[in-house]
Amino acid sequence: MTMTSIQRIRRRAYEIMDGAVPDKYSHFVEVFVALLVVANVIGIILESVPEIHEALEAEFHAFDLFSVAVFSVEFVLRVWSYGEKYLHDEDGSEWKGRKEYLFSFYGIIDFVSTVPFYLQLILPGADLRVLRMFRLLRIFKLSRYNSAFDDMVAAVKAERDSFSSAVFLLFISCLLFSSLIYIIEGHKQPEVFPSIPAAMHWFVITIVSGWGNVDPVTFVGTILVIFTQILSIALAAILTGVVSTAYTAQVERRQAMYEMEVRAVLSDGVVTEEEQAKLKIMQAKLGMSDDQVQAIAEQIKEEKKLAETGNS
Amino acid sequence: MTSGFKHTLMEIMDGSPNHAASRWVELAITIVVLVNCSAVILDSVPEIHALYKDFFHELEFWSVMFFTTEYIARVWSLGAKYLKSEGSSWKGRRQYIFSPFGLVDFFATMPYYMHMFFPYLDLRILRVLRLLRILKLSKYNTALQDLFQAVYSERQAFGSAVFLLTIATVVSASLMHFAEGHEQPEFFGTIPHSIYWAIITITSGYGNVEPVTKAGEAIALITGFLGVCMAAIMTGIVASAFSNQVARKKAAFEAQIREIFSDGVVTDEEKETLKRLQAHYRLTDVQVEAMLQRAQNKSGMKG
Repeated sequence: MTMTSIQRIRRRAYEIMDGAVPDKYSHFVEVFVALLVVANVIGIILESVPEIHEALEAEFHAFDLFSVAVFSVEFVLRVWSYGEKYLHDEDGSEWKGRKEYLFSFYGIIDFVSTVPFYLQLILPGADLRVLRMFRLLRIFKLSRYNSAFDDMVAAVKAERDSFSSAVFLLFISCLLFSSLIYIIEGHKQPEVFPSIPAAMHWFVITIVSGWGNVDPVTFVGTILVIFTQILSIALAAILTGVVSTAYTAQVERRQAMYEMEVRAVLSDGVVTEEEQAKLKIMQAKLGMSDDQVQAIAEQIKEEKKLAETGNS
Repeated sequence: MTSGFKHTLMEIMDGSPNHAASRWVELAITIVVLVNCSAVILDSVPEIHALYKDFFHELEFWSVMFFTTEYIARVWSLGAKYLKSEGSSWKGRRQYIFSPFGLVDFFATMPYYMHMFFPYLDLRILRVLRLLRILKLSKYNTALQDLFQAVYSERQAFGSAVFLLTIATVVSASLMHFAEGHEQPEFFGTIPHSIYWAIITITSGYGNVEPVTKAGEAIALITGFLGVCMAAIMTGIVASAFSNQVARKKAAFEAQIREIFSDGVVTDEEKETLKRLQAHYRLTDVQVEAMLQRAQNKSGMKG
């Protein structure tokens, strides 16, 4: 099957945009987009200072035009070239890859952070502050090049049971403690605890900052406040514990994933250059250190050696 | 025929996956509990209370009917828990009635009737008891039970943390009493008074009273610092409790895998068991895959 030149260009564009193949052009695109995003975010922050905004209004506008142009080209290129993604699969079509991109987190971010600018051109009366907020969404474009955000989402997802039970615990204690303090102190301090929702506000402040800013006046109220204070440490400890466990588990999962990949590569006994490049990309994507990789490789080699001596 | 129905009802109330109805029962109870708790909270706001008093009253009546039906259904059906040979039908019932969940179910429903017979009881206490209904939900939260188990298994470490907290509180409270008792008698006049200050300072790092003497300032600083240490110790204990629990689960799962691989064949039935265990221990597919491969390699080495 011969490719037309347009198909070849599209294939190349896909490789560069997706970054799935190690390539100095795709690396360049990555760095360029990342730098532009950072410059954009700094620009939005500086623009909110009235003096800077007045002094450099024209420059900011020109820079925004340039960024929108670049991001628009990026978005269009991605949509166009992602048609390649599943083209050579059995049941794939051009639109499968495109649809996947358009409805992915990054696709939506790319769209939402760029398009409002055009809306402003069509509807000049729109509220500028809302547009600025949409522009801030551009910072999420960076998470494509870093697994930290994905890791966080994956860690929370994997431990969602623990998270939800910690939140449930928080919910129950909020309900019980705030209604208790309302019942005990509500008559003595009606300006602080006029209703259970007001007492809930006190409870949340206590849990978050460690001090609810209210001194109890009754003895039972004092005991209750002391318990709430101690509970606030305990709840913080539980949430921290859940998060740290989730992250440890996430690191382990990554190692397991990498190990599986290495085993798959080694299964036929030969490591081609392509496979090596694939492993390198995977290592970078999972954010694993060279030491970790070395340890995994050693372990697998050891196992292989043992298996060979055992078999013979 | 009633015993068959009783058994089915018990399974449904118990949340057994054998019946589709058990999920609906669970959902209905959850919704009624949540609506109830929101009603109690909203009812305490004077403006809302004035407007919707009758509605809240009506809601309370029907919820109590609902919870009473639930309680009776549970008590009656749990008679089928043990066979005649293992004890009378009251054995299962007694077990439920005196379990934490049974007590919560009882005390969350009962106050309404008490109010009917003794109308002069303090309404505020009844309201607290109504909020206890939220605890009914913990029955359906297995992760919460896991959490308590993790904390319970580290109870010795927690005990020593509480001991440290007590010592720190008592020492800094007494020191503060001696340093500032004369300057600010309204806050530090007695040691119990200063204990309140010490606990607030240790737990929040911010005292509700500013010291006025140099010695008092130094003590307040050290107390605040102790608070940071306490938080760190507690966090460390909970985090290690959790990771120990995860390690225990994985070890148990790995032992199961090894057992299954020991005869070299993995039957469909064993695969089913693994799936169930994976859900039970809440392990992800990738983790399980890696463990399986490791086990396979090990068994390959032997052969």
